[in-house]
This record gives sequence, C-alpha cells and structure tokens, in this order.
Amino acid sequence: MWRVTLRGMLAHKLRLALTGLAIVLGVTFVSGTLVLTDTLHSTFSTLFSNVYRNVDLEVRGAAAFSNQTGALAVREPFAQSLLATVREVPGVALAGGSVSGYAQYVDKQGHAISTGGAPTIGTTYPASQRLSWFHLVAGTAPRTATQVVMDQGTAQKFGFHVGSRVTILLPGAPRNFTISGIVKFGTANNLAGATIAAFSLPTAQSLFDKVGRLDTIDVLVARGSSLSSVERAIATELPKGVEVVTGQTVADENTSLMNQILGFLSTALLVFAFIALFVGAFTIFNTFSIIVSQRTRELALLRIVGASRRQVFAMVQLEAFLMGLVASLLGLGLGVLTAMGLSALLRAFGISLPPGSLVFSARTVVVSLLVGVGVTMISAVSPARHAVRIAPVRALASYSSAPATSRRRRVIVGAALGVGGLAVLVGGLARGTIALVGVGAVAIFVGVAMLAPFIARPMASVLGRPLAATLGASGVLGRENSMRSPRRTAQTASALMIGLALVAAFTVFGASISRSATGSIKDAIAADYVITGSVTGSPISGISNAAPGVISHIPGVDTVTRVDSGVFEFGHSVFNLAAIPRDSLSRTVTLRMQSGDAGSALGAGEVLISSTTATSKNLSVGDTMRVRFATTGWTSVRVGGVFKPNAILGSYVVSERFFAQHYAPGAQPVAILLRSTTGPTAAETSAITAALRPFANLKVQTRSQFIATQQAQVNQILGLVYALLGLAIIIALIGIVNTLLLSVFERTREIGLLRAVGMRRRQVRTMIRSEALILAVFGGVIGVILGTGLGVALSVSLSQQGITDVVVPYSNLVLFVVVAALLGLAASSWPARRAARLNVLDAIAVE
Amino acid sequence: MLSTQPSSRDVVHDLATSVAHAVDLVKTYGEGNAEVRALNGVTIAFERERFVAVMGPSGSGKSTLMHCMAGLDVPTSGHTYIGDLEIGEMDDTHLTQLRRDRIGFIFQSFNLIPTLTARENIELPVTLAGGKVDAEWLEFLAAQLSITDRLGHHPAEMSGGQQQRTACARALIRRPELIFADEPTGNLDSNSSTEMLNFLRRSVDEFHQSIVMVTHDVRAAAHADRVVFLADGELVGEILAPTVDDVLEQMKQLGH
Repeated sequence: MWRVTLRGMLAHKLRLALTGLAIVLGVTFVSGTLVLTDTLHSTFSTLFSNVYRNVDLEVRGAAAFSNQTGALAVREPFAQSLLATVREVPGVALAGGSVSGYAQYVDKQGHAISTGGAPTIGTTYPASQRLSWFHLVAGTAPRTATQVVMDQGTAQKFGFHVGSRVTILLPGAPRNFTISGIVKFGTANNLAGATIAAFSLPTAQSLFDKVGRLDTIDVLVARGSSLSSVERAIATELPKGVEVVTGQTVADENTSLMNQILGFLSTALLVFAFIALFVGAFTIFNTFSIIVSQRTRELALLRIVGASRRQVFAMVQLEAFLMGLVASLLGLGLGVLTAMGLSALLRAFGISLPPGSLVFSARTVVVSLLVGVGVTMISAVSPARHAVRIAPVRALASYSSAPATSRRRRVIVGAALGVGGLAVLVGGLARGTIALVGVGAVAIFVGVAMLAPFIARPMASVLGRPLAATLGASGVLGRENSMRSPRRTAQTASALMIGLALVAAFTVFGASISRSATGSIKDAIAADYVITGSVTGSPISGISNAAPGVISHIPGVDTVTRVDSGVFEFGHSVFNLAAIPRDSLSRTVTLRMQSGDAGSALGAGEVLISSTTATSKNLSVGDTMRVRFATTGWTSVRVGGVFKPNAILGSYVVSERFFAQHYAPGAQPVAILLRSTTGPTAAETSAITAALRPFANLKVQTRSQFIATQQAQVNQILGLVYALLGLAIIIALIGIVNTLLLSVFERTREIGLLRAVGMRRRQVRTMIRSEALILAVFGGVIGVILGTGLGVALSVSLSQQGITDVVVPYSNLVLFVVVAALLGLAASSWPARRAARLNVLDAIAVE
Repeated sequence: MLSTQPSSRDVVHDLATSVAHAVDLVKTYGEGNAEVRALNGVTIAFERERFVAVMGPSGSGKSTLMHCMAGLDVPTSGHTYIGDLEIGEMDDTHLTQLRRDRIGFIFQSFNLIPTLTARENIELPVTLAGGKVDAEWLEFLAAQLSITDRLGHHPAEMSGGQQQRTACARALIRRPELIFADEPTGNLDSNSSTEMLNFLRRSVDEFHQSIVMVTHDVRAAAHADRVVFLADGELVGEILAPTVDDVLEQMKQLGH
C-alpha cells in the first residue's frame, strides 16, 4: 500500500508540488500569524512586568464607570495630600506620586514625531531611583520646569542628546525644554514604540492641568513587611473613589489589554489564512479528482488483484496525508521566516523588540500541521470516495465509458447548501455574528461550486463563441475542450470564483462605506476648513487646547468651532459624546434634525441623539436619560432632539457649556472647524497654516481635502484587504496551471494526433490558451456576480451602522473579470508551451 | 463433435468436480428497444485442473461470461459459483477477498502498475492481503517464465512479452483455485504467444492450476483441454482435446 502510494507520488513530483503549494501558502499564513502574535504577546508581557517590577503597590483612582476594569478604565486623579497619608502607613518604605498626559516631541525640522499608533506619553520622572521603571543611561533626572528626560529610542532616531533643546506639544501651548537625561526600559530603547517625555512632578502637574492632584502613587514596601498587610493598611486610609492594587495587577491588566488587541490582529489575519486555505481546498479537491480519473485503470487493476475498497480509499488519503504533511512543514518554516520579516518590519517602524526572541510554540506546530494536513485530507475525501466506486472491470480496455454520476443528488445537495448558506448568512448579518456569516458564505460557495457544472457547458459555449469565430480551429477546439468536461471546467473555475467573489464583495462593501462616509461628511460639515490632530477623531487627537484661540485672530476667519469629546455611562455601558458651541450650528456643523430643535435644545442643556441611537435605545424627544460622568457623577439629562446620522459628531451631542460643567478643564478638542467669510482661498489657507506652525502635529485641510482624506483612508484599508485576498487569487491561479497541465498530460495522444494531422505549435498554444481564457472568465463572471450579491447584502445589513448608500462600482467589477482573464492567460503559458513541445511520435506512442 | 446444451443432470455431476460454474446466466445491457442480451441463459461448468478456452465471434458474450463468473460484473439473472460459493450474493468486501485469495487474472494489456517493479507487481496480491511472500515460489515462477533478470525493472523497461509473463507470475503467486485469462496473447507476437501458452499449459499439467481463457485466437484455443463456443449469448458447442483445424472448422460454422 505504502509502496504503491509513494511510488505514484514520486512519479508525479511536479503535480504534487503545484498542488502542495496551495497548502504551503495557507499554512505559511497561519503559522506566520501565530508566531508573530505569540512573539508580540511575550514581548509585551515581559515589557509590562519589567515596567512594574519596582512597584509593589499602586494607589490610583477607582474605575469611574460600572463594568469597566483594567487598563482601559476611566480613572479620575485624586488629591495630592493622599501621598503624605500613604507615606505614614507602617510598612511603606517609599511612595512617589505621578501624573501623566499627552506630550509629543517635535523633531529638529519642526515636524511632530509620530509613533504609528503607539501612544506619545508624558509622565512624571520618579522621585526615587528605587521606584523607577526608567534606566537612566545618560544625564540626570529633570529638576527644573524646563527639563525633560527622553527615551533612548527617540533620542537615537532623531539625534537628540543630553543638553539638546526640544519642543514638546502638550495639552496647552507647545513649550521648549532642555533634555536633562536619556532613559531605557530594561534593555529596550523604547516602550513598544511609544515615545516618553518625563518631567519633574510639579512640572508634569502644571503641564497636564493636574496641579495639587495625582494620577497614581507608587509604593515600595519595606523589607520584612508583608505586601498584603501593607495593601490592606493603605486601603483603610483611602477615600472613596481611590483604590490600591499590586504592581503585578497593573502589569497583568496592561498585558491582557495588549492580548486583546493582539487577539483582534490574529483573528483578522487568520480569517485571511482561512480564505486562502479554503480556496486551496478547491484546488486540492480538483487535482485529486483529476488524478483519480486519470488513474482509473490503475486503481481498477489494484482492485482486481485484490485491493479492498478500504485500501483504495486509504491509498488516496495517504497520498493526501503525505502531501499535506510535507506542505505543512514547508509552510511552517516559511511562516517562521515571514514572522521574522514582520518583526524586522516592526523594528523598522521604530517599535523596538528585544532581538532574537521569536516565540515558536508547540501550539503553532500543532495547529499548522493539523490545519494543513486536515484541509488536504478533507479535500481528498470526495475524490477518494470516487476512487472507491471505480468498478474493477474498468481495468479492462473494453470498458472505457465513464460511469454515470448522480446529477440529481448533486443538484439537491448543491441547492440545499446554497439556500441554507444564504439563510445562515442573512441570519448572521442580522444578528451581527461574524462566525455565522463565515459559515454561511462557505456553504454558499460550496453550493454554487456544486451547481456550477450545470451552467459550465452553456457558459463555456457562449464564452467560447467569439474565440471560435476569431481563432479558427484552435479556438473551436479550445471551446470544445472546455465544454467537454463541464464538471472539471466548473471545479477549476470554482477556486478563482471564490477569490473573485471575495474581492468583489469587499469592493462593493468598501465603495458603499466610502460613499456613505463621504456623503455623510458632506452632510455633516458646513465648515470651510477642518483641523485635525495626530489621530483623527480620537480623544488623544493631540490638538492643543490653545490652538483655537490662535486661529480666531486671523482676519477672514468667521467662526471657530472646537469639537470636544468625552465619555459617560448610560445603561451600564460607556459611550462617547461630542460637544459643540451652540452658535456653530449651521455655521460649521450641520445637524439634520428628525425631531426637536437643535439650537434651543443645546441652549437648554439638553442632549441631542442620533436617529439610530433613538431606535436602538428606544428614546425620543422629552425622555430623560440617567447618565454618569467621571468627574461629576450621576445626573439626569433630557433628550432635546433627534438628528439623522452624522459622521463627525457620532451618537450624542451636547453644548460646549454642558461639557464644561461635567468634564475637567484642560480637555483637548478632537477637531477644530473653521468658517471663513470668503470661503477657502490660498492666502487664507497659508495664513492659517502659518499661525498653526508651532502646533506641529496639526493638519489644516479644506472641506474637500478632508473628504478626500477620509476616502483615502477607506481605500487604504481596502488596499490591505485586496493584498491579503491576493494570496487566495494566487492559489486559484496555481489551481488553473495545475488543471491545464494535467489535462495536457491526459490528452497527450489527442494533441499528438492533432499535431500529426497538421496543427502547428502555435495553434496548440492558442488552443490551450483559449481553454484557460474560458475557464478564467467563467470563474470571474460567476465570482463577481456572487460577490456583488454578498457585498450588497453585507452593506444593506449594516445600514443601521451608518452605511447609508449601497454602491455597486460596475466599472471596477468589469475590470476584475478582465484581470481574471489576463491572469488566466498568464497561468496557461506554461501548460501551453508544454503542450506545444510534445513530440508528435512520442505523443501517439503513449498507451 | 458438436454437443447440445448440458442437461441439468450433467451440471449436478459437474458440481462435485467443477472449480466454477454458472446456471442460467442472463446479462442484458440497456432498456426497451435498445436492450442487448449479452448472455441469454448460459449454463456451464469449468473443471478443476483443466485448461478451458472460451471462443466466439465479437459480441458473442464471451468476455461478459468471464466478467460475470469472476465477479467483476453482476448478471441480470442466474447464478454463478466459484467452488461451491455463490458469488451473486457477495458484497464488495467478500468479492474482493475472493479475487484476492482464490482467483488470478491475466489481461490483454495494462496488466502492471507502472510505478512498481516487476517483483513488486508480482508480490502485489500478497502484500495487499497482508500476507508473506513465498520467495522460493516467486523465484521458481520467475525462472520458469524467464524474467529472473527483469525482476528489478519497471514495466516501461520491459518488452510486451516480459510484461505479460510478469502478469502471469502475479496471477500464480497466490496459487489461486482458478485463473481467468482475457485474450492473454492478444497483444503479443507469435513467439511470445507460444511461450505464454506453453507456460499456461504447463501450469495446468505440472502445478495443477485451473485456467479459463477467453480468446479469439484459434492457435491459442488449441492449447486448451476443452474449447467452448459462444454465439449471440448462448453456448453453441464444445470440443474436447481440440486441434487447430477442429477449432477453425467450428468457428466457420458459427458464421464466419
């Protein structure tokens, strides 16, 4: 058994290599993702435990809202007087207070130093080295109000030294500092890509608007005292709203937050790995089907000389197992290399990882092998069952007719899968369960692939007609060949179909998001200029609260609207609200009201809610909401109006005055909107830009530029998705190459005969290319139609989440079919050359 | 020397000694107007340790008869037996066991697995059954068939005659009760044919094998102990201890 399988495999190395490639790529994706996320996970957990190694206990504000815990919880600062109290507690050896906030460096060229998503941290330099998580490598601690300590990562990358002058962007106006020292974090130059600016405590308190208050007190427990008894002793001294936890707890909280983020990353990547493997499964299924049909006589002969059905089944499965195993091992190796490459990429982005610490866990090996081998073997089950059904008599030359296949069962199963899949998909979309959507999509794809053979013949006939008309005999034969075995044509096209269906679905979805976003921005903003910070729309936007004042003096600027953002608790959940001055309404911000009057509601200190929120929370004008703010606690607020979805302001809108009442002073706006008397002019644009030059991180855009930027962001994400789906398309193309090679091999005699009766090599090539073209267009057309349907379904089902326009970008979709056709042609070049090279005599002599 | 259909008494008598027999075998293909009766009520027995040839013109049903009797095809009605086992009632597992343990096959072409060497091909029925190869017997067969120096070669490296002799060794390796040979000389030149037939003859005479051979080669049939003739799905005659001339004469009468 082993011998027959192994010899058969060794005799067809090329075929196996091509088929295995699909699995290699898929497993590379899986193992690369696992190694990368494991590595990042270990890096971060080491990092956080190092940071908190010197902190035995930490006193901090308790989570301000219910259901919020850990690193993401909103915490309020407390009175600095608590520091003296904590120091008095028996068993406390050392205690130091700290505040932190936004602080972003400006490089020597005047550009804000951005971190690519990691925070720009401003914090307090610890009072004692023994409490410190910094490792001072040069200079001294900051002592005066103009001194700062910088992280080594930033210092090295941007050429700062002890004694250098540096500008730092702050919640208030930017200020200049002198670097008094440079620090590392254990052995790392920076903290997972974040930049750090550490000030003396009084300086930090004044910079971050926390004079007389502290965010945390770090405590070192005296030798000989027990951690838990000191913790309890401190707890009894703390007022309400302040808590004490161990340093380990804080480290764990940070690690688990990081794990959550990494979990999203690995899930997203694994989804694409799964798509690649799914497409690969079709390729494997197809190859094994062809292999089995080509080996019909051999398998029948084995049956005649005594192989049982089980043995034949085992033989095909063994082949799948071995192929899957080898491919998975290769994929595993490549995955590790990929992860190394990605780590290097992260380092290039300035995220310092401890070198040589790639985490290669047993789980990665197990999962990769299981997935790779499993997918291969499952894909080969149906071909293996086909092999089992081969009657022993088929070994005899006299029996050459193919056995009839059950068309009816195929139609029933295919249709059931398609319809059932659609139901599951719609259900999943309605309930927002992504897993159900995935299962539904898989069922639809398999169902359509099962039904595809029935339309393959007529479609190949139609698609092939122009080829037959223009390419003469080669075109006619190519068309006939793709009609000859509709099942194989459909199976080969299926892989490409899935790839293109996904591309088309994301294109429709993306275009709908893009249009909805820009459409709603157009509807939401009346401003001529939009000023944004480092991170658009985020509470840590980095917009200085001094910036609005600077611009308002520019001649021609008519209205300056600062949009603030804050969090509050409502119905056991935490939401964001936006705050705008009442007089900005219709000047810079457009609120299209469904009910109520925005102006009078904001004037009366009421809240405006979006229509989607009104529906989901069952609220209407006149209702009262019980809400909680971190600083001021529980309060009641009346719903004063309902507005149509607004891309800038979100779900809840209050007035500037309301915001000032409930939030701590010194908040940083999330955006600044400007209205000028003349509309945007070049002169005005440069005047605004010049005025904002000290605020190095701010971006001034006209309304149309801002809309274009938002669109570009959607396109950027779409581009990333395309790149990830590209792998699936590549695998589908490998499938086409494979099928064509196999069918050229199968038709060796026939091609030899054609050559013998006078077909030229070029005509042979044209014939094979015609087949590939028909295959690719067939897969492309069905895929695009299917994908468009899926994309529309997805978009429609998310209309509540703000996808208001469903866009079908026809020209793009047609372009995909054209690209698929070209890729199909490219895939056929090797098989076509192989067919053309066949020696006429040899070809005829083959039995 | 033409005999009529055997009587049921003859069949009962044959049962005791036959290695395989069929009773009232009918096989039809297609339905309605397109129905073809390949076998139309054939009752026949093959004796132990005899070399029987089945002859007939194309379409006479001789291959169908063999396929049904070997359990490769399922008759429309009637009964087939190997020894005293009725194979019509067997499921695939038992049929497989039967083929593996009690029957050997030789075909006109495509006899060998191309990726295995000659030795591995010969051993195949044994390894498939999970048994141990009788090396002495294999060497003996190889020597008798003059393929000893070819055992390590792949089929593609052997002549047609060598391939067919390898298939012959494979059919004999498990010392089956019965060997079915379907046009074994159909693709061979006359020298190879003669060698092959002589060996089949010897395996009956010296190794006590039982052989049923389907052929339309008159010279091949003349090597048998008995030739049975089929025409239009019916048994139309037989000759014992045939000569080439006897067989030619009979074939002429069958409408050639």
